[in-house]
Amino acid sequence: MNISKVKDIFIKELSVEFRQRFAVGGIFLFAATVVFLIYKSFNDINPREWTILLWIIMLFAGLNAVVKSFLQERRETYLYYYTLFDPIDLIVAKLMYNFVFLTSLFVIIIAIMSVFAGFPVKSLGLFVTGSLVGILGIAIVFTFVSVISATEGGNSTLMSILALPLVLPIVLLLLKISAVSVRLMTDTSIGQDIWMLVSIDSILLGAMILLFPSLWRS
Amino acid sequence: MKNNNIQNTVFRFVVFFLITFLSVDLRAESEVIDFMRNSGKIYSVVAVVAVIFIGLAIYLFRLDAKLTKLEKRINDQ
Amino acid sequence: MNIKGWWWKILGVLIYLYVIIGGLTVPLKPGVLKVDPASANTGTKLELNITGYNTHFSDATENKAWLKTDSGHSIKARDIHIVDDMHAQLIFELPEVLPPGEKVQPLTLIMDNEKDGAFVQPNAIFVKAKENTTSGTEGWDEADFGHIHTADGIAFPYRNILHETIRNTFFHVALWFAMFIMLIVGLVYAVRYLRTHDYSYDIKSSAYNKTGILFGILGLATGSIWARFTWNTFWTGDVKLNMTAVTLLIYLAYLVLRGASSDTDKKAKISSAYTIFAFVAMIPLLFIIPRMTDSLHPGNGGNPALGGEDLDNTLRMFFYPAILGLSLIGVWISTLVIRYEMLKERLFQNQK
Repeated sequence: MNISKVKDIFIKELSVEFRQRFAVGGIFLFAATVVFLIYKSFNDINPREWTILLWIIMLFAGLNAVVKSFLQERRETYLYYYTLFDPIDLIVAKLMYNFVFLTSLFVIIIAIMSVFAGFPVKSLGLFVTGSLVGILGIAIVFTFVSVISATEGGNSTLMSILALPLVLPIVLLLLKISAVSVRLMTDTSIGQDIWMLVSIDSILLGAMILLFPSLWRS
Repeated sequence: MKNNNIQNTVFRFVVFFLITFLSVDLRAESEVIDFMRNSGKIYSVVAVVAVIFIGLAIYLFRLDAKLTKLEKRINDQ
Repeated sequence: MNIKGWWWKILGVLIYLYVIIGGLTVPLKPGVLKVDPASANTGTKLELNITGYNTHFSDATENKAWLKTDSGHSIKARDIHIVDDMHAQLIFELPEVLPPGEKVQPLTLIMDNEKDGAFVQPNAIFVKAKENTTSGTEGWDEADFGHIHTADGIAFPYRNILHETIRNTFFHVALWFAMFIMLIVGLVYAVRYLRTHDYSYDIKSSAYNKTGILFGILGLATGSIWARFTWNTFWTGDVKLNMTAVTLLIYLAYLVLRGASSDTDKKAKISSAYTIFAFVAMIPLLFIIPRMTDSLHPGNGGNPALGGEDLDNTLRMFFYPAILGLSLIGVWISTLVIRYEMLKERLFQNQK
């Protein structure tokens, strides 16, 4: 693995993203609209609904966003990449990019939600660490699945069918961690859940890095 | 074509689940429950064995039907 | 027909037949179905009406009964009136005081006769101490039951709530183990495909995965039936149940993935990769998360348990063969699917 190459790809992804500002804007608009819609229909959002909303919006906005990251490029671009980069560099860069993108999406969703529905989080440290580890897991699954659906010719239905069941365990753990951090429930062993997330992340990451090169060759 | 395939498979699974759960639910009248709870709930064991058997049988029947179709295609050639 | 290639299929069927016949016919150990009343006060004469299950009160001549506290003190039944094989009335003189401990103590009922052997009903009755009495051991004996009989022959353990459904261990629980074995075989073939790019491995991998999914769906269906008659509901918020449902969703997505792809080579590559990823994602779902949370399942959160020491030897005699037999049948079904797919593939090649 070559760190500078990873950095190059990462920066390239970022600049491509900023050039297509309408696409990024679209995703944020999606998040804002959903939050507003739900705010209007619920009028008063309690902490429980807040956590659930947060992760549902995050899941779908994130899915939309990551689908693009592999699908927007054409076959020729892939061939070009193939001659240029080591597959592991490429996937790590893509993953980092997705992670950063999802994290910023997360921050923006939280910002929008705070405006409409307040910010009920009481233990901030737990919330932030839990969410970051969880988002990393979501990013890994989404990246892997977007690779699969890109190989399959950019089928976005396939993407959501494959990705949603795979991220379910992560989202369930995230919901629990958020519920604890807004003090909906108390759980002294919540550290265990975070370790659980970390270990899920690491096995998924390992599997992805092992599998990507063989998928990539097509 | 491709999307059709996905939709078909998804549709089939949804229908399958609905049928399994509804058919069990419809029979879940209280008499049935009393009957099943009779003699130490032995009939629920029988029901479980029956479900396994029926499940395996349905799978084998489907395989059989697929094989018949394939045989026809081979014969046609 | 080639008998050498057949032995394991016959073996599988015979083993499963043994499990069905044995699993359904071996009787349950005697137990106590109902105890009436459910609570009593100290210092009273207690008439305890017992409804037994698989008991032989009137056949037996040496019926004995005790009530035992958690602290190890006991009283013996003064008198036993046998109504019939299943019903008896036990007369106890409850002492004035309770042994040191809580104000209300659960007592364990122990019964013994030479036909049924000894059997136990935990927390059969709650005894309330009178107001303003101190605790003490007057009237209580140290728990010592003297000679206790053991019953002859094999029988499955009796558990509250579960009753005869303990036999579902061989059918429902074994399905999960067989499913897991099928999915492991599928995983192994997926890995072998990715290493060799031999298309037949992909066919094998998908066939075993399909059989695994079949077992999984059957497992859910049988589990729901079992739950209906023990927990009174088809579906609960139980972690084990929901995590298994998620696992099945992941694998159903695998079927969708295979259905979506038309290019054989690409399909093989993608679905092998997805198999490995799905299997890896499944491990925490099935083994780690359920262990971290309470579950309604036997063995979790104070429910009547089957696992560990509670899976007793008579259950083992059928449980392990059930897994083996079901797995062999699973392999058989998978090989049928494999042969079908291979034939189809060859036909497809010829047409090209």
